[in-house]
Amino acid sequence: MRSTEYVVRRIAFAFATIFVAATLNFVIFRAAPGDATTAMRCLSCTDEVRAQLRQELGLDKSKFQQYVIYLKDLAHGDLGRSFQNRQPVLPQLWQPLKNTLPMLLLGTFFSILFGLITGVVAAWRRGTLPERLSVWTGLAFFSLPTQWLGIMLILYLADPLGLPTNGISDPYLSFSNPSLWAEFTDRLSHMVLPSLTLGLVLFGEYTLITRSALLETFGEDYVLTARAKGLTTWQVVRTHAFRNSLLPITTLIFISLGFITAGSILIEAVFNYPGIGLLTYQSVFQKDYPMLQGAFLVITASVVIANLIADLLYIKLDPRIVE
Amino acid sequence: MSAQAEGLVVAPRRRLRDNAVVVALRGSHQAIFGGAVLSVVILIALLAPWIAPYGEHERVGEVFEPPSSAHWLGLDDGGFDMVSLMMFGTRVSLIVGFSAALVAMLIGGSVGIIAGFFGGRTDTLLMRITDYFISIPDLPLMIVVAAVWGRSLRNIILIIGVIYWTSTARVVRAQVKSVRERGYIRRTRVLGASNMRLIVRHVLPQVAPLLVATSVLMVAYAIFAETAIAFLGLGDPSATSWGLLIENAFARDAITVGAWWAIVPPGIAVAIVVVALTMLGTAIEDALNPRLRVSHVSVRRFKLRAAPPRPEDET
Amino acid sequence: MSAAPVLEVQDLHVWFDLGHGRELNAVQGASLTLARGERMGLVGESGCGKTTLSLALMGLLPPNASVAGHVLLDGVDILAGGEDSLRPHRWRDIAMVFQGAMNAFNPVKRIGSQIVEAMELHDVASGRAAQARCGELLELVGIRAERANRFPHEFSGGMRQRAAIAMALSCQPRVLLADEPTTALDVMVQAQILQLLTRLSDELGLAIILVTHDLPVVAQTCQTAAVMYAGRVAELGPTVALYDAPRHPYTRMLFAATPDLTGTAGVASIPGAPPRLDRPLVACPFAPRCDSVFGTCRERRPPLLTVGEGHLAACHLAGSVA
Repeated sequence: MRSTEYVVRRIAFAFATIFVAATLNFVIFRAAPGDATTAMRCLSCTDEVRAQLRQELGLDKSKFQQYVIYLKDLAHGDLGRSFQNRQPVLPQLWQPLKNTLPMLLLGTFFSILFGLITGVVAAWRRGTLPERLSVWTGLAFFSLPTQWLGIMLILYLADPLGLPTNGISDPYLSFSNPSLWAEFTDRLSHMVLPSLTLGLVLFGEYTLITRSALLETFGEDYVLTARAKGLTTWQVVRTHAFRNSLLPITTLIFISLGFITAGSILIEAVFNYPGIGLLTYQSVFQKDYPMLQGAFLVITASVVIANLIADLLYIKLDPRIVE
Repeated sequence: MSAQAEGLVVAPRRRLRDNAVVVALRGSHQAIFGGAVLSVVILIALLAPWIAPYGEHERVGEVFEPPSSAHWLGLDDGGFDMVSLMMFGTRVSLIVGFSAALVAMLIGGSVGIIAGFFGGRTDTLLMRITDYFISIPDLPLMIVVAAVWGRSLRNIILIIGVIYWTSTARVVRAQVKSVRERGYIRRTRVLGASNMRLIVRHVLPQVAPLLVATSVLMVAYAIFAETAIAFLGLGDPSATSWGLLIENAFARDAITVGAWWAIVPPGIAVAIVVVALTMLGTAIEDALNPRLRVSHVSVRRFKLRAAPPRPEDET
Repeated sequence: MSAAPVLEVQDLHVWFDLGHGRELNAVQGASLTLARGERMGLVGESGCGKTTLSLALMGLLPPNASVAGHVLLDGVDILAGGEDSLRPHRWRDIAMVFQGAMNAFNPVKRIGSQIVEAMELHDVASGRAAQARCGELLELVGIRAERANRFPHEFSGGMRQRAAIAMALSCQPRVLLADEPTTALDVMVQAQILQLLTRLSDELGLAIILVTHDLPVVAQTCQTAAVMYAGRVAELGPTVALYDAPRHPYTRMLFAATPDLTGTAGVASIPGAPPRLDRPLVACPFAPRCDSVFGTCRERRPPLLTVGEGHLAACHLAGSVA
């Protein structure tokens, strides 16, 4: 298929996925035991107030009508109002999202970088001690619960390195009239431990992914040809094997996005970092369902968009795809 | 007629001991290590009520008491003995892990078999649905469902199982497709065997080993997922799993007190079990697909040797 | 032959370590000589060691392999220093074309860049000059020069094989090893490739070893042929001599087993199977299947004896005819 057709198909798929996620959102909540009013801590509600609330929330209409209204609201960017503060949900999602992204990007960037390096070395030096060590280390980091790793870092790394373990900035900093640089370093220092936690967990996975993708290419005929041409082992790995394993590696990295979102929720919970993950966590506690739904939708949409970017990257990585 | 047809078509059974897969596994260090660790853990789970030094809900001292000779891993946030809690935790974690994996296997396996066997529009539809589910991130979805539907062990198991069926489905479908094209399936069909019979008697045995391998890996994921869910306060508060131990300790400020003994052991336990299961699962997968890992790349080189003595001189 | 041979293989042995103390002796003392511009067919059943032999000439062996013997390139033993002494000669002096069905080309890189890669690696040419030369090479094998910018999957099987030959010639080697170059290609393309190889060898003085199990191909293209059995050379000599007067029973039975399009000879297959190479072989390896076997055959390994001008055979019977 030609490029344009491929791109259009992938975009359509992305939209469809978000649509399915939104529908799931609707179904899960409407299929819950009781209805939204019982879920709301409406302890002092009289029956009248209840009835009024039901009407306000549209619960007196048929399920299908509710669904249509839900979709229409969604299309207009109306995700309902938070139960906590009665404010519209969508505007309250932006700041947390903006807080989470740098932390995620920092952690992911370093873990990909080090994961790739370690994976390449492990594959290249197959059958030697460095390889065994890398594989075991990768496996270990990958298997330790994310939240546990974060806690370990707090217990053992925070004090020696003088790093903060809570929130995104020092609440007392503003009193001392800080410079832009001071603010920046303050923010950065708060990001270090959360990013490091994410980085360690992902590093393990990416090492294993890179290594196995490379090992797959080592058996290919064109690798033998490259060696026959007189390239050294390292040259073969660098110019042929690695380039060809970028496709499966990219695929697997983007598949791990689901893992990243899970990780970010757990990490923000441990470090009390005010991002979209913490928002999700808190809205569960507070039973703020509209907020929870909104956060879920935003997280899903981010993952879907990231996957779409990956699909578009493939066109560049593998010329066979658009044939 | 069909009984005779069955006799013609069913392959003779070989002894399990000689089965190529089993032989491969016996020689695999990973499989042995994984299997051994798993056996030990299962054993602990089964014998917990008898070998645990103290009761699961037995208060034996102060909150977060440090380790001592009486309590090797100290006490948790409720004054319970950590060693005993760890042992009891084995039960819940394993139950959740295996049950969720079972659910995932049943759903995923069925979807995969149906899609692979019938092909065509059923296949496309099922795979399209699977693709959507794969794109939706796991934990957020689990959180939403758990938050709304309540925290019980049964719910947790169902949630994890339902969300993880996707990978099983894809893998099984690929296998079923390749099995379906095999000659003896076609011949049996010509002889009039019904679809159900074909699936149960012929497709299922071929697919079962792969299902087992995938399930083992699924158990690892499930245990990991349970840990995450418990940490976010969505686990069953009455079921002491390792995940819950971490959450309780964290929520009760074990960090501030420096009570590492309440946090470190559960995390390490999860890691050990997950690693063991991963190794076992990948070893089974490799044994099923003995890919002759040809490699044209190696830092090690071929060796030179002295020529052996020649038998005769040549003219 | 008045000129010195361009390639001389002396008593080459190759072992593969199979683990658990077991070893596969894939090549058991093979010898042959190749003159400049000579085309030699290397034939035998699968598993006879012909591919291993050709890979060994370039040192393209896995780490579990051990090698003994000599490989003389214009008189210099390039095998003596192992990988280090072999690598400089790869492509520059000895190049290889692999089986038609293989992906000799990296699918995500353009054909041209892969041909240029070899030239730049060996300092034959670089940049614009290399690209120009790449174009010339493609034209030489019958592909339009501008196709260099395409990806391998845009080429048909036959074109890919011709491009592989162009790539092999890029550093002007003295010897070309062609391992089943026409397998999996259709008959018309096969003929084209073989004609191409013949032309190149005649025009450029390129020595070619054509590894194949297809005897008519050898008859068509090669001046000499070597028949391998169980890791050893059974018979070696001018193709005509091997066809008309084979001196090794295996050669004779092999040619009799080939369906002949011109004649009415029946197809005779050789009963039995080649011996296992992971156990030491005493005596003649072909003895169990030979129709002329006698006492000595089962006791002593037959040496490679000269039976005519440039014609050798490893058979106890070969020495008996004066």
